[in-house]
Amino acid sequence: MSGLIAVLFLLVAATGTIVALSRVPRHQVIAMAANGLALSLLFMALQAPDVAFAELAAGTAAIPLLFLVVLASIRTDLITERVERPAPGETPPVQKP
Amino acid sequence: MSPRLRRAVFLLACVCLLPAFAHVASTMPAFGAHPLPYGDLINAVGVRERHVTNMVSAINFDYRGFDTLGEEFMMLCAVTGTTILLRGTRGETQDRPQRVPGREIRPRADATVLICRLLAGFTVLFGLYVLLHAMTTPGGGFQGGVIIASGLLLAFLGEGYRGWRHVAHSELFDAAEGGGAALYALCGFASMLMGLPFLQNMLPLGKSGDLFSGGLMLVENAGVGLAVAGGFGILLLEFLEETREPEPVQEDE
Repeated sequence: MSGLIAVLFLLVAATGTIVALSRVPRHQVIAMAANGLALSLLFMALQAPDVAFAELAAGTAAIPLLFLVVLASIRTDLITERVERPAPGETPPVQKP
Repeated sequence: MSPRLRRAVFLLACVCLLPAFAHVASTMPAFGAHPLPYGDLINAVGVRERHVTNMVSAINFDYRGFDTLGEEFMMLCAVTGTTILLRGTRGETQDRPQRVPGREIRPRADATVLICRLLAGFTVLFGLYVLLHAMTTPGGGFQGGVIIASGLLLAFLGEGYRGWRHVAHSELFDAAEGGGAALYALCGFASMLMGLPFLQNMLPLGKSGDLFSGGLMLVENAGVGLAVAGGFGILLLEFLEETREPEPVQEDE
């Protein structure tokens, strides 16, 4: 039993490291879902099935989906001009809609 | 701040915090030890006092039922806030996916459609099972509600946006979310009406191990299940609206 828990701890650490090291947001979302799955397995092994259920449904399905939708709706094609940052003390130029 | 300086500050902070970390780590309770008496006490008296075998439900809906009421309304506020923020650009009637020029839209694979069709119903059924068995086995209103909502999500993955809109009606979700939260609060007022403290169990507790044991906890659990399934449904609906092209703005002036 303790061997299983040790393996699951390593799995959580490994998937968590992948989340932190991912640079492409899409990949990071999938890595986060994998981390949620590893966490829910760990909760299951630690005899906390209630928490495992919640983690599995929220952390592995719902939250990654919401992130993916947000990524999908970011309109990268609309950024046409560089936004100039005003110098301190200077009033920012009024943007016309 | 240059990367080099930043790294130096980070290492300095590490060195400063290391003794404190070592002290805390060395005096922590051993892995698996639970020095607080609360859990043992609940396990010892819970079944006798509340006639339920899932102690997590007994704590959530009875011993600490008032806390759950607070969490219930926190969730209501969070869902309401998200809806208000996202409702600005709705594309409810638009069937065209919002897309970046040059990014291709691949059709769904047949296997995805098949798996989602098979699993969506079973997932919702499993959610109902988890919800109903709150008093006897692990799970409960929250877990069951979230599983039901993820079953709804499979409808989107398998059938696409149009199929999703066919089953997902915001009126239904709104009613479930608000009605569930209200049901929980009304349970408390029902106790007060009978001259008992807020949320005190006044229904017959039943036989422990039975599906319908727990008295008032059953009603509260149903309220939480409704509210969570509805709340997550609203969130999914509002977020999936964001994948549509917004409707053209009507200029009235």
